[in-house]
Amino acid sequence: MTGMAAESPKQGSALERRVPARLAGSTVVLLMCVTGLLAVSLLSMKLGAVHLSWNEVWSGLTSDSEPLARNIIWQIRVPRLVDAMLVGAALAVSGALLQGVTRNPLADPTILGVTAAAGLASATVIVIDPRVPQWAIAAACAAGGLIGAGVLFVIAYRGAVSPVRLALAGVALSAFFGAAIVGLLASSRTFLQTSLGFLAGGLYGSEWRDFRAMLPYLVPGFAAAILLSGRLNILALGDDVAAGLGVVTDRTRLAILAVVGVLTAMAVATAGMVSFVGLVCPHLARYTVGSDNRALIPVSALYGALLVSIADLIARLVISPSEVPMGIITAGVGAPFLLYLVRFRE
Amino acid sequence: MRLSIQGLSLGYGRLTAVDDVSLDIESGDMVSIVGPNGSGKSTLLRGIGRLQRPTRGRVLLGETDIRSLGARQVARQLAVLPQSPDGGADLTVRELVYRGRFPHQGILQRLTRADVEAVDWAMKAADVELLAARTLAHLSGGERQRAWIAMALAQQPRVLLLDEPTSFLDIAHQVEVMELLQRLNHDGITVVAVLHDLALAARYTRRVIAMREGRVAFDGAPAEVMEPVGLAKVFGIAMTVLTDPESGLPIPIPRSKASLTPRDAIATDRP
Repeated sequence: MTGMAAESPKQGSALERRVPARLAGSTVVLLMCVTGLLAVSLLSMKLGAVHLSWNEVWSGLTSDSEPLARNIIWQIRVPRLVDAMLVGAALAVSGALLQGVTRNPLADPTILGVTAAAGLASATVIVIDPRVPQWAIAAACAAGGLIGAGVLFVIAYRGAVSPVRLALAGVALSAFFGAAIVGLLASSRTFLQTSLGFLAGGLYGSEWRDFRAMLPYLVPGFAAAILLSGRLNILALGDDVAAGLGVVTDRTRLAILAVVGVLTAMAVATAGMVSFVGLVCPHLARYTVGSDNRALIPVSALYGALLVSIADLIARLVISPSEVPMGIITAGVGAPFLLYLVRFRE
Repeated sequence: MRLSIQGLSLGYGRLTAVDDVSLDIESGDMVSIVGPNGSGKSTLLRGIGRLQRPTRGRVLLGETDIRSLGARQVARQLAVLPQSPDGGADLTVRELVYRGRFPHQGILQRLTRADVEAVDWAMKAADVELLAARTLAHLSGGERQRAWIAMALAQQPRVLLLDEPTSFLDIAHQVEVMELLQRLNHDGITVVAVLHDLALAARYTRRVIAMREGRVAFDGAPAEVMEPVGLAKVFGIAMTVLTDPESGLPIPIPRSKASLTPRDAIATDRP
């Protein structure tokens, strides 16, 4: 198993000895992710419907000498890139939290219906008023995501934990909310074209206002995810052990599901119903840094940011100047990769 | 630290598993809880360990009701190990033992010198130092049980509760775990263990509490309470009790159900 490097019990002082060898692995992973994100960022600024030269990218980024390049970079490509990274991070962290709290490697916000709950809220406000401001969409999604997560908790978690009940409840919720979304969109003909992008997930036309709408939710959401990661480690030991160690298991689960609801909702508000990122990124992270959630959650976030920003770059380029929904790429890249991991790395 | 169980009742839905049990467990004692399946012995342990909310009654730790304390506050004084915990298979033993520091840590879980010392002590006490870097999935049953006990010890508890710590272990590992518990008890930790094996209970604990249908059937020193009639009433099977020539402690031996005397048969009649 990767990331399972043994700690040496013999060397160093007690505190040094405690530093896991995994941490060294994490540093390598961190460097690779940052390098990857940097490369994707540069390519995302350069490539698109209008290809810029590296000189134009540089002057557009740093000066006013080329107003067109500056406009393309700062008003279109950078905000979209930032949105992509945040959407990816939010989905990947949601997936990591869900896989941890359900102790089920197949859990992900799409499969458990949280994405669809937020999507229904989003679709509802857009159908009611197409000119609704982005912050209102974000708020509606947050409410929808929280409701979805709350229903999941009540159905699957009150009293004893049951992975089977959770999976069934998730599938049922997902199907129910999904049907409601399609019904809603189909009944309002004007949106049929944009609906497709929403249902498959994409960042078409996303800009700074999406970023500003997400930020008030994402900052506390990510902070809470980090703070809850230690408790998630304890929950992974089983409910009775966790309770014996002083974790109030139901309250902790409810808090974690609420964070999932909010983070997933922000991804939906900005990019529609992107699937698969929440499922595959935590697995990638687990392969590289192991199952300690204090490392797993931040690394999942980085992988999510990387996956969605790469997918969005591809989505913009394949049939440029037109584009395909980004969600198709995340599934197209992510699914075979997960299959590879499952088949050859276990 | 003295445990005082007062009129404790616990149940699942409408089913009552523990019915109005009152007990005092003295500080430093080593106690076993025995009884047939479904007698409420594990539920009683869950109630004492704050894993399950009682329907009536209370448990005092020292002078304080454990329900009035925070979960982490209780966990710093009382550790409870459920039966064959199945989580953490991919953790190393050292990582698992560090999890036991949770009730002592702040929200950022920064390691202190006290954490390191407690973990080192716990691993030494449970004799898992040589297993530190092994993952739980690759340990034998006995090694894994010691690793979990080490995790509970890292809590630095005054009271250690264990639910069938010897189940699924072969005879040598059963003895190993019981001797570990005995050592911990000598060091001043109060030990309360649910045990299936009456011979182990007689040999290693100073007080045996037998449960039957949610109530205490008998309670006392093994040599006094482990006698054929009492055991037959609790387990619904005839028992012969021998005396260990070395220790003088009782060794209960089950006989066939048919050999119950009529009086015992009435006393143990169950559908």
